[in-house]
Amino acid sequence: MTILLMGHPNVGKSAVFNRLTGANITESNYPGTTVDFTEGHTFIAGKEYRIIDVPGTFSTEPKDEAERVALDILEEHEDAVVIVVIDSTKVERGLYLAFEVLERGYPAVIALNMWDDAERQNINIDVSRLEEILEVPVVPTVAISGKGIYRLVEKIPSATQVDIKDLKEKISEL
Amino acid sequence: MKTKSTMKLSEMEYGERGVIREIKQDLKDQILGRGIRVGKKIRMDTKQPINGPVVITIGKSTTSLGYNLARKITVEVEEDDDTSDGTS
Amino acid sequence: MKLEPEERWRLIDRVARETVQYGAEKTTIKSTLAELTVKPFTGIPFAIAILYGFWAFFNAFAGFFTDGFFVPLFDDLWLPWIQEAFPLEGSWFYYILVGDPAATNSFEAFGILTSGLFVAVGVVLPAIVAFYLVITVLEDSGYMPRLAVLVDTVLHKIGLHGFAVVPMILSLGCNVPGVASTRTLETKKQRFMMMILLSIFIPCGAQLGVMLSLIPEYFGYIMLYLLAGFFVFGWILNKVVPGSSPEIMTDVPPFRIPTISNVSRKLWVKVKGFFTNAIPFVLLGVGLVNILYLVGAIDWLSNILGPVFTGWFGIPKETVAPLIAGFLRKDLAVAQLSAIEMSGFQLITSVVIISIYFPCIATFSMIIKEGRNSGGVLKVLGGSLLTLVTVVFLWGGLLHLIGMILGVT
Repeated sequence: MTILLMGHPNVGKSAVFNRLTGANITESNYPGTTVDFTEGHTFIAGKEYRIIDVPGTFSTEPKDEAERVALDILEEHEDAVVIVVIDSTKVERGLYLAFEVLERGYPAVIALNMWDDAERQNINIDVSRLEEILEVPVVPTVAISGKGIYRLVEKIPSATQVDIKDLKEKISEL
Repeated sequence: MKTKSTMKLSEMEYGERGVIREIKQDLKDQILGRGIRVGKKIRMDTKQPINGPVVITIGKSTTSLGYNLARKITVEVEEDDDTSDGTS
Repeated sequence: MKLEPEERWRLIDRVARETVQYGAEKTTIKSTLAELTVKPFTGIPFAIAILYGFWAFFNAFAGFFTDGFFVPLFDDLWLPWIQEAFPLEGSWFYYILVGDPAATNSFEAFGILTSGLFVAVGVVLPAIVAFYLVITVLEDSGYMPRLAVLVDTVLHKIGLHGFAVVPMILSLGCNVPGVASTRTLETKKQRFMMMILLSIFIPCGAQLGVMLSLIPEYFGYIMLYLLAGFFVFGWILNKVVPGSSPEIMTDVPPFRIPTISNVSRKLWVKVKGFFTNAIPFVLLGVGLVNILYLVGAIDWLSNILGPVFTGWFGIPKETVAPLIAGFLRKDLAVAQLSAIEMSGFQLITSVVIISIYFPCIATFSMIIKEGRNSGGVLKVLGGSLLTLVTVVFLWGGLLHLIGMILGVT
């Protein structure tokens, strides 16, 4: 099984990656490009997962080489679970990428990272309501201190695909 | 009294606020994922001299755009003596 | 099912309205600092202070390990031992691997296992560790994009990108990671330009150190002339090299305090990469120079270059020898130059020539390795040699001309 970590640049994606993996990580060059990516392994509930720290990207419509590699890695792993790492102070932007991932049919878990920053800036996010609307596990995390990582790991096996048509109808009725 | 005027993003001054009214098609696709889109409130943070890049804030995201990219964005600016009004 | 972007945003706005509430904005020390560091009037002095601080750290760190640890280790223990223990003294095999059997320091021995290993492990490795440490801290703190925005104004005028500041800073430590980091630039044109400009015009930390200690009175002039060259030839390359120079578009994240665990992990990955990717190239490079010596190519070169040196550049022909040493170590070459008797202006000229005539062999190996990312190895090699020759003759000759006009030659 493969877990892909996706998110914008500077959302603490690598910090989440570091929390999830052990010491045995490798950085390699994506063939034919100048882009490097990191991968490692972890065990969740006795099962081994391969984790790839996908290069930071704003959307799955690539604008530069790094974003193209991000898309390539996503498309290469059709049966992967995606952890979409979002900066909690910029939820809307993060959800844009999360939607794109869900629209492509990937089961996903959303990590609302840098949760402490959001608290400090008086940003209030109703996590359970968000979970309820999207039907996707949503976990507040502070990857730098490790907060929420355990819960994030717990949720990975329960990630499922989302029916976008249903989701669209549901949101439109809000 | 507030007066409104439309200008290019590259023409805004430090600290001015406005609302994005139009983004040229070729740039639109590139910055949609960054949350820069029509209807969003925008603040000009800094402008580097001699046609250097601009730095803008939308919501909580701060982005820097090259001068020629900033020229492709049209903003409706509220000219106001009092700059203390919040973004939200 | 895929949504149209407009539709996607419409749905997200609804979801956000339902789940996210923004309280009053607070002005904090961090947010004030964040603003001040991208405004030109406050940001530029701040940038200079930060960079100077990191440079001082780099010098202290690299100096501590190279001079304090690796120099004694290699010169006193490793070199005498291998000179003695290696079989077949006098053969070409010995010459390539060990070099000069009478050499007393690891700079001058010139073998793969002596100078090669020493340069790679004793000199470049500490420089790499120190600089990746600095760069990782700058990256993780969120400062890098601010610096990029500040310098983009100037760099974009010569077709480069604000983020070209990363290879530029790295190169002041060591050109090898500088060349390696050009891969972060977006287009082949920008990578190619940056690679050439930095390997010609940006002196590495070791060379800077030697210049500062041996010829501090000329340091400013030399740096100014090199910097001017960077922009003049940057401007020319921008006109000549085909390809595009996209404008900057980057997030400017808030400041964060880097954590030790993240910094050390990133650092470890980089250093590991250096061991497997770069060190073999440095060793190969030394071997190549040795073979060129063996077949007489270098002697032939210095015979041809002698008259050019006195005629075109107005510097003594004795400077050819340090120049050859400069293939391996620019700092060593500068040290040798300062021992040759010549006028102050000639010294400035010859140090400038040493800096621009050819990248050191480690950097050159890296250019070959990274060349495939910037338009193909052959193209990059041809392009850099062409640029090199042009730069050396024009920029070096111009300095001689300036000297003649000023009447100081």
